[in-house]
Amino acid sequence: MVEKGNTRLFVRKILPKAFKAALLAVIAYLPMYFLSALISPIQPFFPWYEPLTNIFTAAFIFLLVVGVFSSGTVFQYMFGVARMLVLMIFFIYVLNGGIITLAVPVEGASVTIMLDITVVLAMLVLVCLLGIAKNVVQAIDFVSHKAEINEL
Amino acid sequence: MILLAAYGKREERRMRYVVRALGWTTKIFWIFIILFSVTSAYSAMNVRMGFGEPQVSLSSEFVVISIPLFINNSGLYDLSELNVTVDVMDYNGSLLLTSTTFVPLIPRGSSVETAHNVSMSLDDITSKAQIYLFNDTVFNVNMSMKLIFAHAIPLQVSINKTIPWGAPLYNFSVGQISYDPYNVTHQRVIIPLSFENHSPYFGVSGMMRVEMYNDRGEVIASGTSSLDVPSYSKYEGQFELIADILKLTPSGEMHFYFETSAFSFGPVVMPYG
Repeated sequence: MVEKGNTRLFVRKILPKAFKAALLAVIAYLPMYFLSALISPIQPFFPWYEPLTNIFTAAFIFLLVVGVFSSGTVFQYMFGVARMLVLMIFFIYVLNGGIITLAVPVEGASVTIMLDITVVLAMLVLVCLLGIAKNVVQAIDFVSHKAEINEL
Repeated sequence: MILLAAYGKREERRMRYVVRALGWTTKIFWIFIILFSVTSAYSAMNVRMGFGEPQVSLSSEFVVISIPLFINNSGLYDLSELNVTVDVMDYNGSLLLTSTTFVPLIPRGSSVETAHNVSMSLDDITSKAQIYLFNDTVFNVNMSMKLIFAHAIPLQVSINKTIPWGAPLYNFSVGQISYDPYNVTHQRVIIPLSFENHSPYFGVSGMMRVEMYNDRGEVIASGTSSLDVPSYSKYEGQFELIADILKLTPSGEMHFYFETSAFSFGPVVMPYG
């Protein structure tokens, strides 16, 4: 009887979350995969890109999966905030603080290309901050709603 | 109790509006960033830029090297504040020449043709020629191009190149002068000359004129000779002059003048005796 109840709980609650988490993980990984494939021919000019990108991707997907599994609790929003922070740090790291400098040796001359994309980085950071704000407001809403139910 | 519940509901609804507004703002920002990134990449690929064949013009005071520059902006965004700068420095970092070209705006869908002019004063050339005709050195050329893409993204491309300079009259030296009798009033003066043409860019072909002065500053002999010394080759030859015995002194000066296809220079003053 207990076993049957556990199976029903697993099928009803855990399995849909697992599917959702898997789907979201795949969707989150796809842009990273395509970006890596796109810049692989010019990878030597972006030496800072490869080493920590995989770690950031793993951390982001982990927080995404944990967030899905903890949905219905306040932890969902906490993981959401953490996810947005990871994303924000990732953007700052991968865009080198908004100043991208490439040194390309061409026929005995050294060619330096410097691209200042602080405007784009500022927009990305703003989006992440908005995401954090949204999660914080949702967490407050969730906690106050819970407190209200308890009071009633 | 009912009032409290109603107040709570209203607050909850307000929170939901805030969450929804934040969600929509985030989505709009994401769409804007993705659209801007994609269109910027597309536009950058549609910008064509190139340099034409350099042309040299001479005025009374300056030599101007004019390099045609064309920019075709068929992208979606304007290019602004295009600044092309070329600096040439010698081996010890002192600035030999600098030149700048500024184009305030290249609107999208338009092209601009201009010229980057590098000018050098003839006085400067003469004063520095003495060094560069006789000594090997290196020039550091720094070329930088700055522009603002879409009025938002500054881009700078700088090229640093070291150009070796080989002196066309490297180690120019006069050997031991010898004298032979020519006739009763004159003597043949034989001047051994040698130099190496280290220049990879041009040969020394043209005329060399020599004037011989005695210690009183009088011209005692002069003559011309042709030169044809290809790149990376050595010249060793003798120059013969007929000098007046009465004016000839044990010491004095020789003045050398060069008229070649690549340069004209003189006098190079060498003492004798």
